[in-house]
Amino acid sequence: MGQTMVEKIVSRKVGRSVRAGELVERLPIGKLFFNDVIGPPAILTLKRLFGDTFKQHGKPVRVFDPRRVFMLPDHSIPAYSVEVAEGVDLMESFGRECGIRVYREGDGIEHVVLIEDGHIVPWDIVLGTDSHTCTNGAMGALAFGVGTTDGAYAMATGHIYDFVVPETFQFELAGKFQKGVYAKDLILHIIGAVGAGGCSRRVAEFVGEGVRQLPMDARTTICNMAVEMSGRTGIMPTDETLLEYLAGRAQWPVEPLSSDPDATFANQMRVDLTLLEPMVAFPHKPANAVPFSRIPEMMAKSQTQPGPDLPAVTSDRITDAFVGACTNGRYDDLVEVAKVLKRNRVHQDVSFVVIPASRKVYERAMDEGILQIIIKAGANIESSNCGPCFGSHMGVLSRNAQMISSSNRNYQGRMGSRDARIFLASPATVAASAIEGKLADPRKYL
Amino acid sequence: MLTGTVTTIFGDDINTDDIIPAFRLQQSNDPEYFATYAFEKFDPEFRARCGQCGANIVLAGKNFGCGSSREQAVYALQYNRVVCVIAGSFPDIFYRNCLANGLTLVALPDRTNIGLGDALEVDLAAGVVWNQSRGPTIPFPMKEEDRRTFLAGGMTARVRMHLEELLAGPARTE
Repeated sequence: MGQTMVEKIVSRKVGRSVRAGELVERLPIGKLFFNDVIGPPAILTLKRLFGDTFKQHGKPVRVFDPRRVFMLPDHSIPAYSVEVAEGVDLMESFGRECGIRVYREGDGIEHVVLIEDGHIVPWDIVLGTDSHTCTNGAMGALAFGVGTTDGAYAMATGHIYDFVVPETFQFELAGKFQKGVYAKDLILHIIGAVGAGGCSRRVAEFVGEGVRQLPMDARTTICNMAVEMSGRTGIMPTDETLLEYLAGRAQWPVEPLSSDPDATFANQMRVDLTLLEPMVAFPHKPANAVPFSRIPEMMAKSQTQPGPDLPAVTSDRITDAFVGACTNGRYDDLVEVAKVLKRNRVHQDVSFVVIPASRKVYERAMDEGILQIIIKAGANIESSNCGPCFGSHMGVLSRNAQMISSSNRNYQGRMGSRDARIFLASPATVAASAIEGKLADPRKYL
Repeated sequence: MLTGTVTTIFGDDINTDDIIPAFRLQQSNDPEYFATYAFEKFDPEFRARCGQCGANIVLAGKNFGCGSSREQAVYALQYNRVVCVIAGSFPDIFYRNCLANGLTLVALPDRTNIGLGDALEVDLAAGVVWNQSRGPTIPFPMKEEDRRTFLAGGMTARVRMHLEELLAGPARTE
């Protein structure tokens, strides 16, 4: 009987054939990375838990393999507080001690930069101390987020412990997007259909003709939000587009990977991309996703049956807009924003923040005149970092705000005041809404 | 064996941003710091309720702890003397973070026999919750390896043994 991608990856790593549900007591990993939120406490945890062990062996504290560990300050930089700045200092000094790569502030977001630099390849097992590590599954890697302690363990030994091989939920994508409909609309549609816990403990595998015709930037958007339906991670099979992307870029050996046709899937769901329209997720949950045609109905529902997961939305006005984050801050996203903004102005009541997700994206968009269009339309461009998605800087929301964002989470209080309302949408929809100062369908601008 | 009182009941899909907002995360590396800001936006009374009880149990719906991987969410609970969370289900990252810190999690699909103010005894070894206030004993499923880790208060001892093996042996190559 055949195996899923996940079963194949784990089987190869442990040297025996495993099935979903099996326990692996020690699973070796291939890559490990830290951001400025968890990096500093993880370094301190490593030293606190294992400093004595290293000392007893007459060795300094070091990571299991410096070529496979990365530090990427990306969440709260440029530093907004002394504590943040000192955390970045710690990452830099520890990186020097251990000989591991520490990216510079402004190089970009972890889930964008390591892919761009060719560090994530099919068959890899990737741990990152961030829940959106699932983004890296678009490369055919088994990639998932961990906390401080699992991160510190992995730094010490290069393993994750008591790993249970997850089952797979396979999404078969057919058809082709119509104009103005994007990967973001697709993944919001899927999360809305299955719910916030709909892929719980399972890996979301995306396959089919619908995936094969998508460029890499769109694929990472889809995998990025697997965790918003509580998926263990997202993953996609290897095809020509991925191999082309990795050619001349991959820093590690590349070998194609896909699930066997007779593998066992816990669930399967088919989505026809042709039938989708632009989507908006209402506050306070990504799963509150509705197509544009159903916005009036959703507003009415929020007023008649408000609750902690869906507060009353009494107006479609927009005060703040954001394009960026590990979900939708890549080159293809900025191209769509520029298309919508060209010959238009950002509404005078809207603060529109645009953040290219990496230095490479920033430079390319600058060289090609894309940033000029966005700036001249009245948006604010910031240096590459997670931006308002992390709710700490670069556009924190007041209690009166109604934000539309290309990021992945619209939880209550996520971007500032707990009274603010956050909508999620594609970059084109965010740009159209920034122009009109209200929720706006991007199709008329394309 | 642990005992505590149910002092908080939450619904489904409580996320780790609810438990500890992002802005606090990088302001300290001291786990105890995060106790002060637990649920500061979502449930500002949480801390005061926990402060009145020596051992708190949180009862919640499905998918408790979803979202961000921030382990500070676990510290925010533990340092408010939360000894156990009983919920419909837990997503993977939060579950692993609790295993690592020895915060006992009990997944219980049917929680109708537990209410606010109930005194509970959670017997990990036997796999039962005994509701001392109302009487019934409620069994819960748990994987053997997780039971072992919760009882040991984490995995650090095992990982240290593995590290010893690695440091004593030849360097890892691939």
